[in-house]
Amino acid sequence: MFTSIRTGLLAACVVAALAAPVAQAQNVAGNAQAAKNKVSMCTGCHGIPGYKTAFPKVYHVPKIGGQQPVYIVNALKAYKTGERSHPSMVGIAASLSEQDMADLAAYYGAAK
Amino acid sequence: MKRTLTIAALAALVAAPAAWAGDASAGKAKAAQVCAACHGPEGNKPSAPDQPILAGQHEDYLVKALTDYKSGRRANPIMKGFASTLSSKDIEDVAAWFSSQSSDLHSTR
Repeated sequence: MFTSIRTGLLAACVVAALAAPVAQAQNVAGNAQAAKNKVSMCTGCHGIPGYKTAFPKVYHVPKIGGQQPVYIVNALKAYKTGERSHPSMVGIAASLSEQDMADLAAYYGAAK
Repeated sequence: MKRTLTIAALAALVAAPAAWAGDASAGKAKAAQVCAACHGPEGNKPSAPDQPILAGQHEDYLVKALTDYKSGRRANPIMKGFASTLSSKDIEDVAAWFSSQSSDLHSTR
């Protein structure tokens, strides 16, 4: 009896511990309004139609207006962890909190 | 007459780079096999929120992304698997296909 309760509690704790990081990541809700004073670091490249990166290789910077917000957050996180490696984006993403990322994603995802 | 010929020659020169780029119709066929299940046949209907819209994206950016996935420079196990099956020509073709499709993607302030 006690053993099964203890086992049950232990299992519940393990489940809670495993689930927590995922739940946390989803709990950061983006606020497009709050992003309005954070987008200045983005517009210099992503706000200019046809703008091209000069380094390390010349190609058009991606269009991010209208992109899926979850994809934008994942991209910013990947630059912050180094999984993606564009020098300017790594520098910018390093300065962003999860809330900043969610706000920017909400802004660009909804931007028309 | 000579002027017309000169203009035609200039126009051909200007148009030439486009002719060397990807073949969108070949890209459409390849995309139907490799990309469509997740991104949609035209790249504007992702099947999950974490999958990007590709339709209307810049062609050269799509080439770079796929090339980086294939080489592992951009680390994503799912996309590495798909990009690895594509040749350099396939990559240019699917990029030409998706970039020429329409979506809400845009450059914005």
